[in-house]
Amino acid sequence: MPPSQDVTEIAVKVQSGELTAEQATERALAQIAAHDGEVHAFLHVAGDHARERARAVDRKRARGEKLGPLAGVPIALKDAICTRGLPSTAGSRILQGYVPPYDATVVTRLLDADAVVIGKTNMDEFAMGSSNENSAFGPVKNPWDVTRTPGGSSGGSAAAVAARMAPCALGSDTGGSIRQPASLTGTVGIKPTYGRVPRYGLIAFASSLDQIGPFATDVRGAARVLSVISGHDPRDATSLDAPVGDLEGACGRSLRGLRVGIPDEYFARGLDAEVEESVRAAIRELEAEGCVLRPVKLPHTLFAVATYYVLATAEASSNLARFDGVRYGLRVDEGKDLRAMYGATRDAGFGPEVKRRILLGTFVLSAGYYDAYYRKAQQVRTLLRRDFDEVLQEVDVVCSPASPTPAFRLGEKVDDPLAMYLNDIYTLPASLAGIPAMSVPCAPTRSGLPVGLQIMARPLDEATMLAVASAWEARNPTRGLAPAMAGRD
Amino acid sequence: MPAPKIDRALVLHVAKLSSLSLSDAEVDRFASELARIVAHVEQLDALDTRDVPPTAHVQIERMPLREDEVLPGVTHEEALAQAPRVEADGFAVPVYVE
Repeated sequence: MPPSQDVTEIAVKVQSGELTAEQATERALAQIAAHDGEVHAFLHVAGDHARERARAVDRKRARGEKLGPLAGVPIALKDAICTRGLPSTAGSRILQGYVPPYDATVVTRLLDADAVVIGKTNMDEFAMGSSNENSAFGPVKNPWDVTRTPGGSSGGSAAAVAARMAPCALGSDTGGSIRQPASLTGTVGIKPTYGRVPRYGLIAFASSLDQIGPFATDVRGAARVLSVISGHDPRDATSLDAPVGDLEGACGRSLRGLRVGIPDEYFARGLDAEVEESVRAAIRELEAEGCVLRPVKLPHTLFAVATYYVLATAEASSNLARFDGVRYGLRVDEGKDLRAMYGATRDAGFGPEVKRRILLGTFVLSAGYYDAYYRKAQQVRTLLRRDFDEVLQEVDVVCSPASPTPAFRLGEKVDDPLAMYLNDIYTLPASLAGIPAMSVPCAPTRSGLPVGLQIMARPLDEATMLAVASAWEARNPTRGLAPAMAGRD
Repeated sequence: MPAPKIDRALVLHVAKLSSLSLSDAEVDRFASELARIVAHVEQLDALDTRDVPPTAHVQIERMPLREDEVLPGVTHEEALAQAPRVEADGFAVPVYVE
């Protein structure tokens, strides 16, 4: 009898008393203790904190109080999400030892729903990367094959869920940092509509793109976590004032007559043959489920990488100006003056990819180059948005691969930043357009590596996206497949 | 506009604007890497964007402003608790003379 490992199953059992929050937490901590030495998904395991919190949930039940929708559910948080009293480094040496004096809004909402935070997960430094090799504290390994990357930048959160160290986790997605690692680790990962989930307390990378979203072992679990963290927050000026709706109820909804767009540009040169085969097989099942498939054109797709790496680095160069060694974090005092201290601190505190992006972002914003690069990229962003505006009038969702290849080997692309950037081609357009998108597992490759189906939908229409994901998940013959270290198959 | 030459001088200029004290080896490395990345970005020039408005932000029309109210924030002690150096109840920095 496999232990209950899905979000909704744990919550129901804890609510009914069949399982205690403490037991669910101990199980997660035991799985971390057994396998995280190898995987390195966590930067900080909050053992005592989690046990104390779990006992508080159990006491609440013992008092006869109603428990929340994530009753006793262990959750791992990407280390870019601020947690009061727990370290939050964003994978950077410049924030080593930093302990925020406040919780991010998403953390407050998780705690109000009776979830148990079990730790902070490893990530590419400041969420800049697609392989987790840019973490200042060493890379995460893919639980399916520890010689391979779990993807990035939320690779620790993805790996923790894949290895069943937690049934769910939060990540953040700026250009694919939830969907790509979800695809590479065989987990469900959602990037919500821009503004759907409050960013208050998320250490910023590129503010016009960053979104927090969930990972989970199944679609329904991801939908539940998303519904808990979604909704307007007055402390985030970019948070949308729009009703969330019944996201979990959308799972299982009929797809009869739903129009699914298949963009040629996402099945082009560079796509791995086995990934294509797996994704197309999943799309055929959607047709069998009653969907109408239509070829669509998203003609500016190829320009997404150039557009993104101008806009995201420009925003990053501004956001990361705050790390100056004055108020918190690392300080390298050269003993001379303030400017020398800034320069020495930032040179020692930031890793190569972060410096590369700060330099590129500062360059595209600098006098003489602003119009040619930054403004130009903002205009092309408009063209990319229009591609989706037009297509999403003809179809209800767009389906594609989430990543052109399965998990690549650690070290394979680390010396070629441009090759690493080009790997994000399928996830960047939805980020630039601000629309919701997710990755849901489909059949693995013959060598057993996970593949993800990406589903993109209209702004604020996470419900339709989840309906499609759950319909495919129900028909997926390899549903629930987990790596050997997860302890079940 | 003609493509700029990404060389050591440009990297040093941008590094100064970014408050980054780079080593010589870093300057060389970033000059060659940034040249390749900027060359890729130049493909945007192929698109005619003369009448296209820029997108700074999506969904801006759905973002209401909140009331301007005074709410509790972090305390003075909490704000200083993580500072590398504190003097006279404030953040201490090296001497700054321009």
